[in-house]
Amino acid sequence: MENDSILKVPLLARGWRFVAIALFPLPAILVIGLAFARTGIDPNEAAQVIYGFWAIAFGILNLTKEKEEDEMIQRFRLQAFQTGFYWLIWGLAALMLINYVRYDRLTSEIFTAYLVLFLLNLYIYAAFQLQLYKSRKEN
Amino acid sequence: MKNTIKVERARHNLTQQDLAEKVQVSRQTINSIEAGKYVPSTVLALKIAKVFEIALEEIFELEEGD
Repeated sequence: MENDSILKVPLLARGWRFVAIALFPLPAILVIGLAFARTGIDPNEAAQVIYGFWAIAFGILNLTKEKEEDEMIQRFRLQAFQTGFYWLIWGLAALMLINYVRYDRLTSEIFTAYLVLFLLNLYIYAAFQLQLYKSRKEN
Repeated sequence: MKNTIKVERARHNLTQQDLAEKVQVSRQTINSIEAGKYVPSTVLALKIAKVFEIALEEIFELEEGD
């Protein structure tokens, strides 16, 4: 059966995993480097740089092919995106509630697009790996 | 959903890997189907039935709650 090509997401080759892995320590090195160069980087800005890099790294991992990409893996992938989004919404709601109780306001400076994208991709990755682990556990 | 894949495999003297190769999925997927952890798509279920040369409903059976 043909899939609608406009909705099909092409997955990345497995080699991209190494790029993703390299992106995890890179922002820390970058931030330390900027601190040594005395660029006067704001600590909040440093955190955003780290969240941004990690969001991209987890995004790449989430879109990289598995060794054997079959229908079960594709189902897990779809489920992981749904679960990740669900966890993100609950997590954000919890953060907003905590913020409201502590500071009397719903919003906070920590809610940036970088943080949200990082958390979303992290949750998707965790949900996917959890499903893989469960399926690989022998009966 | 219950299934008799393990029994059919034994009857046909096939390993999980053999069946996986015949229906073009991973051994892990066959293992998950046998264990009832994963319900295959209609296409995959039909492919499995074709390998064993029996009707689909002879392999897969609905359970209470399905």
